Amino acid sequence: MTPALPLLVRERSAAHRGLQTAGIVLLAVLAVYASTMNSFRLGQLTVALLYATAIAGLNLATGYTGQLSIGHSAFFGLGAYTTGILVASHNWNPLVTLIPAAVLCFATGLLVGLPSLRIRGINLALVTLALGVAFPELIDRFSGLTGGQIGLNVSVFQLLPPHWTGISIANRFQYYYWLAAGLLAIVLVLCATLTRSRAGLAMRATRDRETAAAAMGVNLAWTKMVVFGLSGAITGVAGCIFAIYLGSLSADASFTLTLSITLITGLVIGGVSTTLGPVIGGLAVYFVPYWTENVRQGEASELIFGVILIVLMFVMPEGLMGLIIRLSRRILRIEPQPPARPGRPDAAGPAPSGAGPTTVIHHDEERNTA
Amino acid sequence: MQFFLDRLFDGISNGAIYAALALALVMVYRATGTINFAQGEMALFTTYLAWGLTTKHVPVVLCLLVAAVAGFALGAVSERVLVRPIEKRSLLATLIVLLGLFSVLNAADGLIWGKGNQSMPSLFPNTLQSYVSVLGARLYWANIGVWLLVAAVVGLMFALFNGTRLGLQMRATANNRESAALAGIGVGRILMLGWGISAAIGAIAGVLFTPLTPDSLGLGEMFPLLIYASAAALFGGLDSPGGAVLAGLLLGIAEVMLSAYVPAIGGQLQEAIAFVAIVAVLLLRPQGLFGTREVERV
Repeated sequence: MTPALPLLVRERSAAHRGLQTAGIVLLAVLAVYASTMNSFRLGQLTVALLYATAIAGLNLATGYTGQLSIGHSAFFGLGAYTTGILVASHNWNPLVTLIPAAVLCFATGLLVGLPSLRIRGINLALVTLALGVAFPELIDRFSGLTGGQIGLNVSVFQLLPPHWTGISIANRFQYYYWLAAGLLAIVLVLCATLTRSRAGLAMRATRDRETAAAAMGVNLAWTKMVVFGLSGAITGVAGCIFAIYLGSLSADASFTLTLSITLITGLVIGGVSTTLGPVIGGLAVYFVPYWTENVRQGEASELIFGVILIVLMFVMPEGLMGLIIRLSRRILRIEPQPPARPGRPDAAGPAPSGAGPTTVIHHDEERNTA
Repeated sequence: MQFFLDRLFDGISNGAIYAALALALVMVYRATGTINFAQGEMALFTTYLAWGLTTKHVPVVLCLLVAAVAGFALGAVSERVLVRPIEKRSLLATLIVLLGLFSVLNAADGLIWGKGNQSMPSLFPNTLQSYVSVLGARLYWANIGVWLLVAAVVGLMFALFNGTRLGLQMRATANNRESAALAGIGVGRILMLGWGISAAIGAIAGVLFTPLTPDSLGLGEMFPLLIYASAAALFGGLDSPGGAVLAGLLLGIAEVMLSAYVPAIGGQLQEAIAFVAIVAVLLLRPQGLFGTREVERV
């Protein structure tokens, strides 16, 4: 190791905290700067941030726990339709609908995760594929509730920013943007906290060595089901805000298998099992097709996504965020705290600190980004 | 009776197609241990290819052959170039690559042949008059043709598996790749062959299935087919070719009968039914009817 370049910063030291704060401030400044753009760009950005949120949800199941889901479009759609129906037909406050939507998506996620307990891997992928294909069909079938193929329209007046925000009708895209950005921030903090906790360790152990994880006392069934439920709930809530922003829903247009593939592509581009990867991925899958659409119409974006997916899996499976982390480690490295913590005897108990299972788990988490 | 028979004939035709595709899925599963998500899109691509040739007045039989050969090449090349380098890394990586292939093929179809739905000419006489009467019900020649061709393909496959040296090598590779390699079998060649044959079966199924319904050749045609075939393969047992064929037939008949006799299900909930079937099989009997239970050595 060269003495100069990888600067060593101890985890949770003042310098580390300072770097983290600087990073968060930078992101916040970027978010405020972005909010000054015109309504059209702001609308685009809103959808991109919602994709990022949905991908962050997908990341919990697919990235950290290794359960490939090709059905997250259904969760996104389920959330969107829950909000749409409750607001349009029952006159609910749009923001309150996030709660039943999250519960519904969580429950659906548990149900879908159920079969994966018996046997793993491809079976769950298959179930989620079937879910993704079946969702638009279910929406068409229950057209009395959902508007079916005609679509579901919510009056703009029910989706205006509430008075306390002080945002005028003309500037309502500001409101949608901040809703999306706020949700994304909350979800990112939640995911970062979860994946760095003991539960996160259990998730990654389940992904990397199922048998070893079970031997270490991880409840595989519980971990997989709850993570899948949580993953579905996060993606579903992103769908709620999508409904609030868009106001008109059509399952055949917005919530097909193509959306699922888009989300997976975003996850792979941004970086599987990274905290900020979904943000990069969400922006990429929204804006790359938008720019290339000018070059070639129609199926071009789907083709590009497919090619990107394949090529990335071969040459850069860690994604953009993974690449950034790997490169930044040459300049700055965060040293983990020594495991022994005097004064907290409980932490020294069966906790998998030190050599044990942590060596099995790939250290794929970025520790040196704020 | 006539109503029932009409439905039964339709059900057997659909079932034969599901059976063929399920057999294709099982072949890939036995070779690589994954479900080929791109199976349906490979079939769609070759079906479009065949359709494209028919518009140039090439005889349909020839188109079927071209599709099968193209399918074989597509499958074999995909295995060699895309799947084999990545499958060592993880199942997740393999599935994502296959999903990428799915996306590429579907988009390529749209770019080459356009988005609109097309009608595919049939290999068999396919007018409203070309049927034989069975107890008052109409049994169309197109249906009989599909049954016979699928039966021939399935028969050939079983003869290949059980009666030839190559089939023995394929079974050995599916059973234990390392032992097979140690016994002198060219495992790589067998894997490519397995994928190739699988995609060729899919190609034949696509060319046979599409003419059964007018205007059915479209970009979304194969999603439901893949779901049904997967449900059949799971139901029969993912590593059991016989089980997949039987389950495919049963599923085809069950699907048609359900929508004919249970009005609540109607014509719209069919993928949802397949979804429920998949979940039920996985919950109740994850190894399927004839599959072997997965045993893991720790």
